[in-house]
Amino acid sequence: MNALNISSSPHARDRWSTAYIMRAVILALMPTTIVGVAVNGLHALLVILTSVVAAVATEFAFDRACHKPDTWKDGSAAVTGLLLALSLSPTVPLYMTAIGSVFAILVVKCCFGGLGKNFINPALAGRCFLLISFGRAMSSFQLDGVSSATPIALLMNGKAVDITRMFLGTASGVIGGSVLALMAGGLALWALDFIHGEICFSVLGGFTLYLGLFGGQGFDPKFLLAHLCGGGVVMGAFFMATDYVTSPVSKLAQMTYGLVIGVLGGLFRVHGSTADSFSYSIIIGNLLAPLFDIYIIPKPFAYRRAALRAASGDKRSLLQRIPRPVVVLTVITLIAGLALSGVYAITKDTIEEQQRLANTASYKAVCADADHFEAVTAIDNAIEDLNGEVYGTAFGRVFIREAMAGVDEAGNLVGYAIRVTSADGFDGNITLVVGVNAEGVVMGAFFMATDYVTSPVSNRRLGQQRQRRHRRRVRRVHFLQRRGQRGQRGPRFLPLRDRGGNEQ
Amino acid sequence: MVKRTFRGGVHPADHKDLSREAPLREFLPKGEMVFPLSQHIGKPAKPVVKKGDQVLVGQRLAEADGFVSAHIVCSCSGTVKAVEPRRTLTGGMMDCVVVTNDGQFTPAADYTKREDVSGIDGDEIVRRVQEAAVVGLGGAGFPTHVKLKPKDPAAIRYVIANGAECEPYLTCNDQLMRTRAAEIVEGLELMLRLFPGAQGVICIERNKPEAIEAMRKACAGKPRLSVLDLQTKYPQGGERSLIQVVAGVNFPLAKLPADVGCIVENVGTIYAIQRAVIYREPLYEHVFTLSGEPVKNPGNYIVRDGTSFQELLDAASGLKEGVTLKKAMCGGPMMGITMASLEVPIQKQNNGLTLMAEDPCELAEKEMTACLHCGRCTTVCPMGLLPQLMADAVMLGDLARYEGKLYGLECIQCGSCTFICPARRPLMQMFKQTKAEILARKRAEAGGKK
Repeated sequence: MNALNISSSPHARDRWSTAYIMRAVILALMPTTIVGVAVNGLHALLVILTSVVAAVATEFAFDRACHKPDTWKDGSAAVTGLLLALSLSPTVPLYMTAIGSVFAILVVKCCFGGLGKNFINPALAGRCFLLISFGRAMSSFQLDGVSSATPIALLMNGKAVDITRMFLGTASGVIGGSVLALMAGGLALWALDFIHGEICFSVLGGFTLYLGLFGGQGFDPKFLLAHLCGGGVVMGAFFMATDYVTSPVSKLAQMTYGLVIGVLGGLFRVHGSTADSFSYSIIIGNLLAPLFDIYIIPKPFAYRRAALRAASGDKRSLLQRIPRPVVVLTVITLIAGLALSGVYAITKDTIEEQQRLANTASYKAVCADADHFEAVTAIDNAIEDLNGEVYGTAFGRVFIREAMAGVDEAGNLVGYAIRVTSADGFDGNITLVVGVNAEGVVMGAFFMATDYVTSPVSNRRLGQQRQRRHRRRVRRVHFLQRRGQRGQRGPRFLPLRDRGGNEQ
Repeated sequence: MVKRTFRGGVHPADHKDLSREAPLREFLPKGEMVFPLSQHIGKPAKPVVKKGDQVLVGQRLAEADGFVSAHIVCSCSGTVKAVEPRRTLTGGMMDCVVVTNDGQFTPAADYTKREDVSGIDGDEIVRRVQEAAVVGLGGAGFPTHVKLKPKDPAAIRYVIANGAECEPYLTCNDQLMRTRAAEIVEGLELMLRLFPGAQGVICIERNKPEAIEAMRKACAGKPRLSVLDLQTKYPQGGERSLIQVVAGVNFPLAKLPADVGCIVENVGTIYAIQRAVIYREPLYEHVFTLSGEPVKNPGNYIVRDGTSFQELLDAASGLKEGVTLKKAMCGGPMMGITMASLEVPIQKQNNGLTLMAEDPCELAEKEMTACLHCGRCTTVCPMGLLPQLMADAVMLGDLARYEGKLYGLECIQCGSCTFICPARRPLMQMFKQTKAEILARKRAEAGGKK
């Protein structure tokens, strides 16, 4: 009789292996890939292929060079490459794609110990590396050969967007931009237990909740949907944040992790200036994951309060068994949400009226001859057709927001006032009103300071701040000069010039 | 359909079709019979026979040593050949009584005469169970009379008959329930006499519809008994899983089921209790499944204790042609003990022999990758532990975290985490070792203090 194997039980293993899971993720990304290629054309396919091949080749080369067992076959490198490609612009040059892919695998994954050891999602790291290195190429998007702003960039400038096109993935944006296809793949992965629902739904929940509470428009479904469909939120929630390696283990920690990512994503979306903020919030979540794993550890079933209570024969209703903080927080959230929505609804018209008055005032400033301003349908249609885009990307992200015809008392056309916004401002958007007379000569320009996304300070207040700052500087210069006169230690520095007033 | 189950758990392929429909057949061995002196948890029994003694079926070969111990009973008639160390299924040597089988199977008493037991009290029932050397047939072999004497019998709320049989390949309890439903119900009613406040619940997984049907029929019109059909899932047949379903209670490993008002007995044990109390028949035979893909005729048997595994396999016409045996397990693949040789005796608590032509453990070792942190082990742990973090703590040597924050000692070693791990990591094996290490260290410290 031949020798029998001796081993510890269990003597059976599940069908699922590492490679099986990776194959499933690739399969779940296929709808997105197909839609992405169909919408964006051949170059998108080349970007995807370059990224995947570069990722797999890098892993293979690293394993060979370091005499490690071949790990490229498990498919994790291919997943990274595919995810990276799907989160890139379809017009990105191939060499950049390859650089990002190599960085993701070589630096983020292999150098930290390979599969299971990377500290942040390699695909996201590759994407952010490219964003930092090649900002211009990464954030230029084309659709049908015409460069155009992404819906999320429009959204952040307060423009209306076409949610249906965003949902289907036919709007301009990254290759994997089809929310429908992403959701199909992501929900399938969730339903088949490949990814943790605790993570994806708490990411989406945290994001929606933050935007609803602090987005300034309450729980307006159109507003929330537009934000959810853009800027990689869905891809982040279903495919990036749920990455096994960089997410925590226990259900409770996963929910916390998801909420942190969602809320950070919302925070960056509302107060940040870049449209790529969701990647950063996931990376921050990834970095926090080990902490969650150390501190958020649920007790075994037998030691949880409910179990101890059941063992001691306590029979209270379900409602009474919900921990009090949960009830209190839920109620507070509901009240706050309702109150904010209410305030928004009440003040909406007043704010718009104020805004209109302010606009009219600034139009007057650049087109002094006009008595009043009228909207012209032809111009409005032309702006609509441009989809907010002027002169391509040569001028950066510039949008025409409104153009009005100035009419004098007699009803004659005296000029036009055009309000434009540039999204390339250092600290938010810059809005400028330009007056043009009927002959096409620029009559003047006026900066609207009310457009600061981060600090909505009124024109008057801004002036006061500048004056105060100026007075403070003057006082300091005098003080230093006096000290110098008295023979004490001389001034260490003198401001060369007053910088006040060059904020724009 | 109501989702009656515990939290966590896995769904291994059950392979029960191999032997599901094979009726129970009594197998009478011809060869030498070997009776290890320890076929139960607790102290080994003390032999009461010596070389050359004539013994009969049902005769006591060894006396229990202490309360938590059980007698050893002869299952054949013949002559005692020796009392000597022999190899047993775990691979070690153990003192055994060896009997030369005369093939007559002459019983020591008439075990077919039904006795009227309506008048006997609880103590008598427990005494008869103890006399009959009944131990838990689920696998652990805990002496049944100890289980029937909890500190506070009035506090027992449920007597659970465990017919879940969640272990893949095994079908003998399925067959037992189909054919001996009335006897099992009678045994359960005898147990309920000991616990006036208790309900009898028969738990069966839904993959055994015939058994559920048969037990339901047998329970009809008995208000204290009910049959619970459970979701098919491993480890549904674990004591704690059943209590979680029936009583809705999770309890720490340090506590016994009786502490939360439950008594769990395997249906085979309950059948043995019925035989012991009503027929005064000692436990010398039990149901047993012989299964596995390489086996020519998988089937369910009533085997005599002390029969060699090899003899049973040969009698069942052995292996298929051209198959090399890679692995032999006493029990099923999830909890079974691998055997180096089949030339060892079947013990009381053994309920199956599963043979495999290829070894999943060997394949797993080849396929092993780094941990993905996928968290599947956490999802399936029936105790609510975090195997992945526990494994991390073990790798880092952080036993304080393993024991304290992660409750690593609560592991019941069901192996669900190892089964499910897509990276094929030997998690449960790691915990088994670590647990033993921590307990040994604790014992050493306690010893040092004295």
